[in-house]
Amino acid sequence: MIRLALDILRADRAKFFAMILAVALSVFLMQNQAAILSSILTMTGSQIRDVPSAGLWVMEPDTECFDQAKPVRDTALYRVRGTSGVDWAVPLLKVDAFARSENGKLTLAVILGVDDTTLVGLPPRMVMGDASAIQERDTCIIDPGGYNLLFPNEPHQLGKRIRVADTFLRLVGISDASPPFTGFPIIHCTRSTAIPLNRGEGRNQTFILGQIKAGADPAAICASIQATTGLKARTATEFKADSYQFYANQGVPMLFYVVIAIGLIVGAAITGQTFLMFVKENERHLSLLKVVGVTRGQMTGMLFSQAALVVAIGCCFGTGLATLTTVLSRTQPFLRGIFIPPWVAVATCGALTAVTAVAVLVALRNVQKLEPAGVFRG
Amino acid sequence: MNSPNQPHPHSTFNVQRSTFDVPNSSFSSSPPLPPAVSCASIHKSFGTGEARVEVLRGIDFTAAMGDMTFLVGPSGCGKTTLISVIAGLLDATSGTVELFGTEVASLSSRDRILFRRKNLGFVFQQYNLLPSLSAAENAAVPLLAAGVPRSTALERAAHLLDRLGLGSRTKALPKILSGGQQQRVALARALVHEPRLVICDEPTAALDAESGHSVMELLSQTAVHPDRAVIVVSHDNRVFHFADRLAFMNDGTITKTESQTALQEK
Repeated sequence: MIRLALDILRADRAKFFAMILAVALSVFLMQNQAAILSSILTMTGSQIRDVPSAGLWVMEPDTECFDQAKPVRDTALYRVRGTSGVDWAVPLLKVDAFARSENGKLTLAVILGVDDTTLVGLPPRMVMGDASAIQERDTCIIDPGGYNLLFPNEPHQLGKRIRVADTFLRLVGISDASPPFTGFPIIHCTRSTAIPLNRGEGRNQTFILGQIKAGADPAAICASIQATTGLKARTATEFKADSYQFYANQGVPMLFYVVIAIGLIVGAAITGQTFLMFVKENERHLSLLKVVGVTRGQMTGMLFSQAALVVAIGCCFGTGLATLTTVLSRTQPFLRGIFIPPWVAVATCGALTAVTAVAVLVALRNVQKLEPAGVFRG
Repeated sequence: MNSPNQPHPHSTFNVQRSTFDVPNSSFSSSPPLPPAVSCASIHKSFGTGEARVEVLRGIDFTAAMGDMTFLVGPSGCGKTTLISVIAGLLDATSGTVELFGTEVASLSSRDRILFRRKNLGFVFQQYNLLPSLSAAENAAVPLLAAGVPRSTALERAAHLLDRLGLGSRTKALPKILSGGQQQRVALARALVHEPRLVICDEPTAALDAESGHSVMELLSQTAVHPDRAVIVVSHDNRVFHFADRLAFMNDGTITKTESQTALQEK
């Protein structure tokens, strides 16, 4: 009877394709928006994630996310190092400054001055060049998105110069830094190179990066640092969550939620309505099947199999389309971080499945109400 | 009742009525068979209060195995309601209906469906074929519903369609078949699972005279069988001569019942 049900469904091509299209577009819309939202919120932790060796981040108490960090006193580094349970600690200076290329392109950039000796704070991978080359004074590395902003339509080439404040930084590498939430270029150099670029409050470190000794309690150590330095200490995981939450509470996600909800509602409305219409138009045939002895269980199986086929094909098309647009987006440097998290794909397909299942249950209720004797009417 | 070994008196094809091999046939058994259908004091009304309409008013009706019984009468006299009650598709307001000794109303909803699936076959005025299925698939629907493997079901349906003269159209969709051919597919669907009771509702009403006569001949030849009762609802007096027995209905009651022989003698 399942095959018979699918034959009946496929025969009504207009409704069959309308339902598939509705599911596909709905899934695409939801996955696309959810992927963008999820990706950009994930980007809020890009620069934290790029320093996997640092499990401990110490910052000013008012700091809520990586992008809005105030510098800390230089003496704090020694107090952190002296805290029991801290394995090591190094400074990281973050400077927000205008960067100008030789051809005149100007953009605000995030300059990260890493510890001169250990170079802790550099991203783990390079696209071009050697990261350790920044140990030479007034040199830097830049992420691909930033390179594209400062040197549009130019092939990757080392040796170019970038002017920040009154200093010319020579490009010695292109890093594979994760795309930042802000979209600004991420320029890495040594802290000694970055200090002259910092026109802030005379404090030359923004974060203290460290690692907790194996077996130590991270929460206790963070509390101890806070008590001795008056600074905020967070594990890398906590800091990523703080940054994520900071942006998630800014209202921007609401716009995505609205579009996702619209996708679900439109998909549900079209799919559900079309399926109900399909069942309505087949009432006479369903009555006939009841007359010839199709049981309620068989009828349920038939309707669910029809819906399952529509949802399966629709979800495949929708997910495929969303994946295609994501893959195409990733060719743009600042959209490198766009991806469809597996849970988004599962959740959107699950939502459509649930909505369609509701439509089937409503249709089933209508079918159960069908008077089989109606089939005798001419 | 006609002897099954004799050609049907009205068949122009002069073919034995039953051409099916049926196991456990009581073809030669001499004791009288119990009625296939037995209705006693059937009342059926719709609506309540002042809107209440009594469609059946105390029907007593029987249909015997091996007989083709016609229910005849004007439109609106309650013929279709009566066969709906007999088939267990509607519940009588009062009275009892027994099919092969089983009181259908006493069965649960599921058992009633299973009983109908096993014992009843239907032919409708408008054929009611599923437009997206081929002739063989349409004919095989009762077997598929009963869980018979698809290949077996289609094979049996195709075999039956062949006997009904549609051997070359088994894969055709209903929309390319003529009305008479569609009704033959519907007839195959009614018989493919070898039911003990076949109920036909105005099987010739949507057909021209020639096609209607042809369908009735096939129905007479293939459906009528000692182990099966056939009830035909019709007001088409051109086909009354196919009946073994005629029950005349009017205004919710059976006014008289006559055998074909008695009718012809008149």
